[in-house]
Amino acid sequence: MSLALLLAWLLPLAAGVATYAVFNPRREAGWIAATLGYGSVFGMLLAAAATALFARADTAHALLHAAPWLALLTAVVGTLGWWRRRGLPGGTAHEHSQIVDKWKIIFITIAITSLAWRGWIGLREILLRPTFPWDAWDAWAVKSKTWFLLGHYLPFVSMRDWLVHLPAAAFTGPAWTYPAALGWMQIWFASAAGGWIEPLVNLPWFALWVGLLAAHYGQWRALGLARMPSLIFVYLLGSLPLLTTHMALAGYADLWIAALFGMAVLAWLRWLEQRDRSQLALAVLCAVSLPLLKLEGAVWLLLFAGIAGFGLLPRRGRRYVIAVLLALLILSMAVGKLVLPLFGLGWVNIVPHEVDVPVIGKLAIAWHGGALNGVLRSLFAQSNWNLLWWLAPIILFWRWREWREHRSLRLLASLLLVSIGFLLFLFLLTDAARWAESYTAINRLIMHIVPALVTLLAMSCRNVDFGHLFKPTVHGTARASDPPPDPA
Amino acid sequence: MMRRVIRDRVICVLAVAAIWTLVLGFAADVRWSAPFAPHQRMHMNASAFHVVMGAGVEDDTALRIGAIGDDGNALQSIALDSVRAEDFTVLRYRFDGFPRTLELSLVFRRADAPDDVQVVTVPWPGKGWRSLNMSHVPGWHGQITELGFAENATPQVVPESVAFRPFRFDGAELWSPSWRGSFAALYTSWFGYTPWALLSISALGPQREVAQAPPPVPFVALAGILSLLAVALILHWSRAQMLGGFAIAFLGLWVALDLRWLDDLHAKHELTEDVYADKSWDERARLLPDQDIAQAAEQVRVFVSTLTVPHHLLVASDEKYTFLRLIYLLLPLNAAPLEQAAGMRVPPRDTLFVLYRDTQWRYDEKRSALLGDNRAYPVEPIFESGEMHIYGFRGTRR
Repeated sequence: MSLALLLAWLLPLAAGVATYAVFNPRREAGWIAATLGYGSVFGMLLAAAATALFARADTAHALLHAAPWLALLTAVVGTLGWWRRRGLPGGTAHEHSQIVDKWKIIFITIAITSLAWRGWIGLREILLRPTFPWDAWDAWAVKSKTWFLLGHYLPFVSMRDWLVHLPAAAFTGPAWTYPAALGWMQIWFASAAGGWIEPLVNLPWFALWVGLLAAHYGQWRALGLARMPSLIFVYLLGSLPLLTTHMALAGYADLWIAALFGMAVLAWLRWLEQRDRSQLALAVLCAVSLPLLKLEGAVWLLLFAGIAGFGLLPRRGRRYVIAVLLALLILSMAVGKLVLPLFGLGWVNIVPHEVDVPVIGKLAIAWHGGALNGVLRSLFAQSNWNLLWWLAPIILFWRWREWREHRSLRLLASLLLVSIGFLLFLFLLTDAARWAESYTAINRLIMHIVPALVTLLAMSCRNVDFGHLFKPTVHGTARASDPPPDPA
Repeated sequence: MMRRVIRDRVICVLAVAAIWTLVLGFAADVRWSAPFAPHQRMHMNASAFHVVMGAGVEDDTALRIGAIGDDGNALQSIALDSVRAEDFTVLRYRFDGFPRTLELSLVFRRADAPDDVQVVTVPWPGKGWRSLNMSHVPGWHGQITELGFAENATPQVVPESVAFRPFRFDGAELWSPSWRGSFAALYTSWFGYTPWALLSISALGPQREVAQAPPPVPFVALAGILSLLAVALILHWSRAQMLGGFAIAFLGLWVALDLRWLDDLHAKHELTEDVYADKSWDERARLLPDQDIAQAAEQVRVFVSTLTVPHHLLVASDEKYTFLRLIYLLLPLNAAPLEQAAGMRVPPRDTLFVLYRDTQWRYDEKRSALLGDNRAYPVEPIFESGEMHIYGFRGTRR
C-alpha cells in the first residue's frame, strides 16, 4: 500500500473518530466499537465532503487539495472532543468475568469465524474484480469516473440541457439526478490510488460493512444489551446474505442508506432512553445525510423526522397532530390532490391514480396483486434474509411486554411499521410493482430498514436472560441493569 | 417413570424425523408411491457421446474435452432409442475437473420436434454425481431421441478469452422415479453452487439453472416450527422451556443456513480467484466479462482521438445493457443513450451517432440519412468496423 493510500484511509478514520468523539465523549459500554463504527463511516463521508468542496478544479489530485482541510477538521474536532471529555470519569470499568459454558464458546467461535470468513471473501472479491453490478457502473460510478478522468468537475444535466450545451460544458446520463456524495468519496480514493483503479475506489464498501456492524454492536451495548446477546445480534445482522452481497459486489448506495438509517435509529434510541442531546444531534446528522446518498433517502428522512417529531410531542399534542393529519388527508382526498415537499425529490404530487415524483417520474396507482408473490418470496423464501422475516414476528410477539413498557421501542416499531407500509404501498400499489415481480429493487429497498429492524429485535430481547434461556444453570449472565460498563 | 421418559423421547425423535421427512419430501417433490431406489437406470458412458462442437478424445469409458468450438461452445451428444421422458424423472451427470469458468447446459431433442433443440442451463457439475429433477424441465415430455451436454463461458461473469480449460466427461444416467433420485436432486439444488449474476445484488434466489427445487428457507423454517411444537407437546414443555428450545432451534437453523450460504459464497468467490487472482490491475481491467463491448469502446476511443473538436456521442444498441456499458467504458468521452434524445432537437454541429449491434436504426444511402424511431438525421458514415458504425451530420467540421 502506498503512503498516499495509507493517508487516504487513516485521515478520514481519524476525522470520523474525532467527530464521533465530540458527540459522544463518554466511555460507556461498547464505546470503542461505536466510535470505530460511526467514525469509519463518518470519516469516509467527510472525505467525500472535503473532496467536493476543495478538489473540484483538480480532481486528479483530490487528496492533495482536500487532505489539509480534513486534517484541520480532525485537529479542531479532536480538540473539541478532548475539551468535552475533560471532567468526565476517566477509564472504564470491566464487566464482571462471566462463567461461560462450552456452548457459548462454540457459538461465539462459529459466529466470529462466519463473519471473519465472509469479510475476508468480500474483501478479496472487491480487491480482485472490476466494478461488476449494473447500477454500480451505470449510475453510481459515472460521475466519479467522469470527473476523475476529466481532471475537473462538470455538471451533469438533463438530456435536453445537454443537447444545447457545448460538448465540453456538461454531461448527462440516466442517473444525472442521483446524489454525488459517494462519487466524491470515490474520487478521494482514486486520487490516492493514482488512477481509476476500481477495486481501490470500491474498497470503502468493505469498511462500511465493518463500520455498520461495529456501530450497531457498540450502540446496542450502550443501550443496555449484554455482551453475549449483542454478539448474537451482530452475527444475525452480519450474516444476512444480501448485506454481505452488497459488501462483496461493491458499488451500490443501498448499503450506505441501510448503515446511516440504522445508525440514526440507534442514536435516536439512545436519546429517547438516556436523554443524551449529543446522541440526538448524531441522529439528526445521520438522518440528514440520507438524501445526499440516494434519492430514497429523502423518504426515510421524512418518515424518520415525522416519527421522531411525533415522539417529541406531549400526549395531548399528539392527538392534535393525528387529528390535523387526518383532516389534511381527508381534505386532500376531497380535493383529489396531496402535495409533499421532499428534500432531494422535489414537490411530490399524489393524486388518486398517480404519484408524480419530479426526479423519478410518474407512477400510476393501482393494485398489483402479482407483485405480492414477489414480496413474499423475497422475504420468506429466497436466501436474501436467512430466517430474519420468520424470526421477527415471533420475537416481537413473544416480547410484546417490552413494547408496553418502553416508549422508545413503540416509537421505533411505529417508524418501521410506517416504513414497511411505504414499501408495500410502493410495490403493491404503484408501477414499481414490476421491480418486485422482477426482484430488481424490492430487496434493496427492504435492506434500507433491516439494520433498524434488527435493532428493534435486539432491544426487545434486552431483558431476556440469555444464559438462563439456553441453559438454566448458567451463572453470571450480564443483564441490562447490571453495572458496571465495559469498553468492548 | 424412567420408561415413560424414554418412551416420550423416542416418540419425540420419531415425530421430528417424520416432520422433516414430510417437509423435505414436499421440497424434493417426491412421488410418495415411488420406490426408495429407481427401478430403471439407463447408464450412458461418456465415450458413447459424439463430439459435435469442440474437440475431445476417448479415455476408457470417459471423454476428455480438450478444445472448444470457434463460437465458444462445446457440445457432446448421444442418440437415444426413443426414450419415454415420463419414465425417467431424474438425470444424473458426472464430470471431472470441470472449470468454474464454464456453464453447463443440457441439450435434448424430441421425436415430435426433430428440428427443435431444447437447451436448458443445469447446475454446475463440481465433484461427483449431480442430479436434476427432470419433471420440471420445460419440454421434457414425449419421446426423447437425442441427449447431450453443452459448455460455454459462464454468462455475465467470465470473459470468454479465459473461460475454457480441458475437462473430463465421465457419463450420465437417467433414473426412473424414486425417493433416492428426488432427494439427490434436492441435494444438488440446495447445496450446489450458483455463480454471481447481475441480479445477485438485488435478489439471491432466481437463477439461470432450470428445474431447481424451491429454496430451503421456508421448508427449514416450517420444519423447525413444527418440530418445536411437536416436541413441546410430547414432552409437556413449560413456557420457559419452549422459549429456550425456540431460541436454540432457530439459532441452530440460522447457523445451518448461514454455513450453506457461506459455502456457496466461497464457491462464487473461487470463480473470481480463478479469473482475476495474481494479475496486475491493468490485466484485470482488460478481463471484463463483456470483452467485446470493451473492444468496441476502444475502437470508438481511437477514432474520436483523431477528431479535432469535442463531440456529443449518442449511443444506440439493441440491448440496453450493451449501450449503457459502452457509455461507461467510453468515459470520460461525453456519451449518452440515443433513445433518451427522442423528441428532442439534436444539434448538428457536434454530434456523432455511435451504433453498435443495432438493428433499430438504419442508414439509408439514397437519402444519406439515419432512420429509426420515427426520426431521420441527415448523416454520413464516418467509421465502420464489424458491428460498430459511427455517423456524423453531413458537412460539419470534425
